[in-house]
Amino acid sequence: MEHDRQVPRPPELTAVDRPSPSFPAVLLFLPLSLLGGFFPAFSLSANLYVLVLGATLLIAGLSSRLPRRQGASELPPGVVWWLLPVGLLIVVEAITYALGSTHDYPTLSLLADPLLDDYLMRSLGYFGWLTVFWGLVRR
Amino acid sequence: MSVTRLLAISGFVLAALAMLAVEIAARRPNSRVPRLGEVTGVVMRYEAAGLPVGRLAVLGFWFWLGWHFLAR
Repeated sequence: MEHDRQVPRPPELTAVDRPSPSFPAVLLFLPLSLLGGFFPAFSLSANLYVLVLGATLLIAGLSSRLPRRQGASELPPGVVWWLLPVGLLIVVEAITYALGSTHDYPTLSLLADPLLDDYLMRSLGYFGWLTVFWGLVRR
Repeated sequence: MSVTRLLAISGFVLAALAMLAVEIAARRPNSRVPRLGEVTGVVMRYEAAGLPVGRLAVLGFWFWLGWHFLAR
């Protein structure tokens, strides 16, 4: 990756217009996350809660009413470096899934389940999910 | 802990560390490696037959991921 540093960045990647900070939306995610932490996995309440929040953000993301960040129209050749971590993640996930997602061959979600049983971790999970979702809606 | 479990966990940790390393490399001045957000942005702008296929795919994937980890 060392040789990439010397090559100037294309102008389209530096001229990214940022929208105004969206503090109210992120602040709204805090009580929503704290509430979500109360709903246990595999429960009807958790399913309904995630579906309502997700559907709301999905609709917001597909509507053209919200302002979006302007970004690059094409990517520099260095994008291939992303294939390394993403490819590794997909390979490990695919192998463990194909082998049954058991204790000896755990998928990522199986490993996350015990962590997400904890209220605080579950609330943090909700907060991270909602915040990234909002970031995607604004892109 | 079985060897296979250890290998699987190591694989996930390695993937996460590699992701972090590429993102750090992308944030260096004059880097030709785009940030993850920039890659996602380009994917989201992909359209086919006037439909926002890329946008729908990325938002739909994130929706499913939340449901998979937090609800199911």
